[in-house]
Amino acid sequence: MRTSIRRSHRLMALTAVAALTTGLLAGCSSDSDDGTSDNSGGSGGSGRITLTIGTFGVFGYKQAGLYDEYMKLHKDINIKENVTTRTDVYWPKVLTRLQAGAGTDDVQAIEVGNITEAVQTQANKFVDLGKEVDKSQWLDWKLAQATTKDGKTIGLGTDIGPMAICYRKDLFKKAGLETDRNKLAAQWKGDWQKYVDVGKQYMKKAPNGTKFVDSASSVYNAALGGAETRYYDKDGNIVWDKSDGVKKSWDAAMAVATSDMSAKLKQFDKPWDQGFANGTFASVACPAWMIGYIEQKSGDAGKGNWDVAAAPTAANWGGSFLGVPTAGKHQKEAIELVKWLTAPEQQAKVFAKQASFPSTPSAYASLKPAADTTAYFSNAPITQIFADSAKTIPVQYFGVKDQPINSALTDVGILQVEQKGKSPEQGWDAAKNEIKDVLGQ
Amino acid sequence: MSSSKQALAHPASSAEAASGTSPGAARGARGRGAPAAPDSWRSRLYRWDMKASPYAFVAPFFILFGAFSLVPLLYTAWYSLHDVQLSALDHQTWAGLDNYKNLLSSDFFWNALKNTLSIGVISTVPQLLAALALAHLLNYKLRGSTMWRVVMLTPYATSVAAATLVFTLLYSWDGGMVNWVLHFFGVDPVNWRESDWGSQFAVSSIVIWRWTGYNALIYLAAMQAIPADLYESAAIDGANRWQQFRHVTIPQLRPTILFTVVVSTIGATQLFGEPLLFGGVSGSKGGSEHQYQTLGLYMYDQGWIIGNLGKASAIAWSMFLILLIIAAVNLLLTRRLRKSQ
Amino acid sequence: MTTTELTLPREAGRRRGRGRMGAGKQLHAGPLTYVVLTVFALVSLAPLVWTAVAASRTDRRLAQTPPPLWFGGNLFKNLQAAWDQAGLGTAMLNSVIVAGTITVSTVLFSTLAGFAFAKLRFRFSGVLLLLTIGTMMIPPQLAVVPLYLWMSDLGWSNQLQTVILPSLVTAFGTFFMRQYLVQALPTELIEAARVDGASSLRIVWHVVFPAARPAMAVLGLLTFVFAWNDFLWPIIALTQQNPTVQVALNSLGTGYVPDQAVIMAGALLGTLPLLVAFLLFGKQIVGGIMQGAIKG
Repeated sequence: MRTSIRRSHRLMALTAVAALTTGLLAGCSSDSDDGTSDNSGGSGGSGRITLTIGTFGVFGYKQAGLYDEYMKLHKDINIKENVTTRTDVYWPKVLTRLQAGAGTDDVQAIEVGNITEAVQTQANKFVDLGKEVDKSQWLDWKLAQATTKDGKTIGLGTDIGPMAICYRKDLFKKAGLETDRNKLAAQWKGDWQKYVDVGKQYMKKAPNGTKFVDSASSVYNAALGGAETRYYDKDGNIVWDKSDGVKKSWDAAMAVATSDMSAKLKQFDKPWDQGFANGTFASVACPAWMIGYIEQKSGDAGKGNWDVAAAPTAANWGGSFLGVPTAGKHQKEAIELVKWLTAPEQQAKVFAKQASFPSTPSAYASLKPAADTTAYFSNAPITQIFADSAKTIPVQYFGVKDQPINSALTDVGILQVEQKGKSPEQGWDAAKNEIKDVLGQ
Repeated sequence: MSSSKQALAHPASSAEAASGTSPGAARGARGRGAPAAPDSWRSRLYRWDMKASPYAFVAPFFILFGAFSLVPLLYTAWYSLHDVQLSALDHQTWAGLDNYKNLLSSDFFWNALKNTLSIGVISTVPQLLAALALAHLLNYKLRGSTMWRVVMLTPYATSVAAATLVFTLLYSWDGGMVNWVLHFFGVDPVNWRESDWGSQFAVSSIVIWRWTGYNALIYLAAMQAIPADLYESAAIDGANRWQQFRHVTIPQLRPTILFTVVVSTIGATQLFGEPLLFGGVSGSKGGSEHQYQTLGLYMYDQGWIIGNLGKASAIAWSMFLILLIIAAVNLLLTRRLRKSQ
Repeated sequence: MTTTELTLPREAGRRRGRGRMGAGKQLHAGPLTYVVLTVFALVSLAPLVWTAVAASRTDRRLAQTPPPLWFGGNLFKNLQAAWDQAGLGTAMLNSVIVAGTITVSTVLFSTLAGFAFAKLRFRFSGVLLLLTIGTMMIPPQLAVVPLYLWMSDLGWSNQLQTVILPSLVTAFGTFFMRQYLVQALPTELIEAARVDGASSLRIVWHVVFPAARPAMAVLGLLTFVFAWNDFLWPIIALTQQNPTVQVALNSLGTGYVPDQAVIMAGALLGTLPLLVAFLLFGKQIVGGIMQGAIKG
């Protein structure tokens, strides 16, 4: 039986209006119109359009001055950003608003972990942006992620997260390891297990109070980011427990977790920051966007000690898209804004500001990281390393519940082995139970 | 909805029975005596006023409450009987009791229930006792009494995110202040986030910190209403401060204590903000083994993170049913006790 | 000594006109009381103070161990940055409107309903009270989704009334006032007023409100803080075009490297108005409690 919610909540609305006998609303209903995109009034005079862009924490457009630049170019446009820091609040909010058909922003950001859900369940709520741009500008796999089976592109790629290994030269040296980035890359090329082997070597002579890597989960995520299959196959069937990519990545993570080479930190936690500041781990799998994070959190102590080497396999972690909801009032203007923000030149500007790596290869030739960033990372050819990775990342298929499945494996399975001393088999079983729960089986 | 009506009819008698034990309600019943006046318009108006005013007094509450709180809640009841995903609200498939059956057979649900009970006890009992003591102290004549009251309420006003950051630092495994102190006493560092009892203790401590002053202020308000004569005559009878507290303050506070116990119990069941933030990334799991995943957190995880609104709604209504069962058991026990007396 | 012994003097005391603890007969606090209160105060204040410490530092310094324990020199700069980035001016005004309206309405309607439940008899009162308490048991987080669909049908998305309306009354408030008045409002007073021919409204105004004042003050304070800090629903219902303080603060610390110092400065700015309100009104609340004697 299928029922539609629409009629019944209109009924609810009527009931409520009838119930509101008093003038309680009088005091607070001064805000005009129906509250969709152009409600803000703002400074604009007549004819000036206010575009709203809904994002979660990471974009940095404002910091890179892109909104100001666009408003200078288009005198009739005023841009307001609506930020919701946490994606786990942002995305339910967007889903609700999309389905209500009201209150969406003119431009809506979508994280890679949610893009498949958006493509599969919300495609009719978004404008087909594929018709508006030269699609070949984007990396194939990036474009594919935001495109429906019948060829509709609901979001244009912003940044991606090509993978490298960031390591502390000074600590590697003390542990008697190779410190040259090219030779290191050659040592672990092709297999994350080889990276783990380097870690075993490191632990034999590890400087006091240091470990080889921040966490087993980061190795897992990095390895999985380069696998052919993740949790779903091409047709959207769930194959996580048969997936070769999952198996290999899990094994690499288990090798880390069971050999005492991890600092056992949870990424993006306060203690992780402190780990950077105190230099308690010697390497971390770093997508491009983590570069700025490392520089900031490691501070002066890490300056010139960090270096960047190519990761064992080309991999991607993270990245986002911008879409235009059909409920917006200024779709034409919104499309123009999205086109401009995702164009190679603008992506390059964001890279210069916070090292978010462009999803449009034509930008790669002109990419220049900030000068102090280059110095911070021992003059490593950051752009080159990430660009090489970006170009060879395989097309990966995501599924609707990709994110909860991933956290079942990392934050339940791997964490149990790493922090609670469970066996890899126990960890796997725990993750399996968790995923059953996620899928409602 | 008929089933929930029936369910509600049950404890209706429980509330009457329960409130019957408090002296106020008994007096309330006596308090209806109105003078029998001649049948003038004035007295008719008077009688009409007597009859209608209670409804007028509760009407604004129930109208607003019904419209904006009850209706959405009934929606969740509807969701709980359907397969509803957050990403497809229009496609609701009738699921009958499947969501509930799924819960009953889920280890996570029972685990969350167990955690809810243990965290509830560890956090609520000390919190209310401390609040009572604190209120008692605040009720003395103090220099700067306003300041003290304001200070006690700051934990409730402090941004939860800021507070959690502080507690995360205090409880961090490596280099946290708590472990540093433990080390001083020769105790090995505890992994407060992941250990079974340690994580529950840590979460409870945040709850206690945040809500003690809040409850103290509620007690304080009630203490202010206790007539001074009671203390005076107690003092004349030779009661010391402790005896006064025990024999004057506590009995007079009984309805308020009942209130805080009920509210804290409900609060403990729904607890999710503190453990969510304490857990950091993926905090909604409540630890890798769900060591501190409460029912409130499990519901948040299912509905908000995983996006299964149907199942999450079933968890919400199960919490309601569980609390009803607790209330019913409570009622039976009190009846038994009274009979045996 | 048992409680029954105390019943008589209490009743007598009520008739004599209710001298209260607040009316100058309180016991004076001993030094030990101050010591214990100071400990409580330090524990209560520490996180807030540390928020200020963090707000006065740089993001880099905050990552280091041991964390800073004393103030640095960046407080003003971070406060300025937080204020500008979050656009806190409008947000503060909105929050005052939202929290103020919710507080007035909650206190007023809860007192009326609480009084009816505590002291008046009417049909279904038991069932209704139970219904009130019962609904507190169902967590409201999920109701957010249907509530939004409904508000947007009314054409109200992103407007302040979407966050005001659902919180105008709380079951908590009604239950609280009921429990308080059961004990604190002597039925004899109502009876006496009735004998004098007072209407229900007069009784509410001259008997109930004065007796309820301490509880109303506390309920008002708690409600205001709750409404001020409420997060989940406002962040779903509003955007930064028309935000409350909590929604506005969410725009802080964006980019791949969020600036923790600015975030902490924002948290501090968001809390300060509450503390100022406590101090301003706290005095009046205490005053109100002091003169809580009954005129009727």
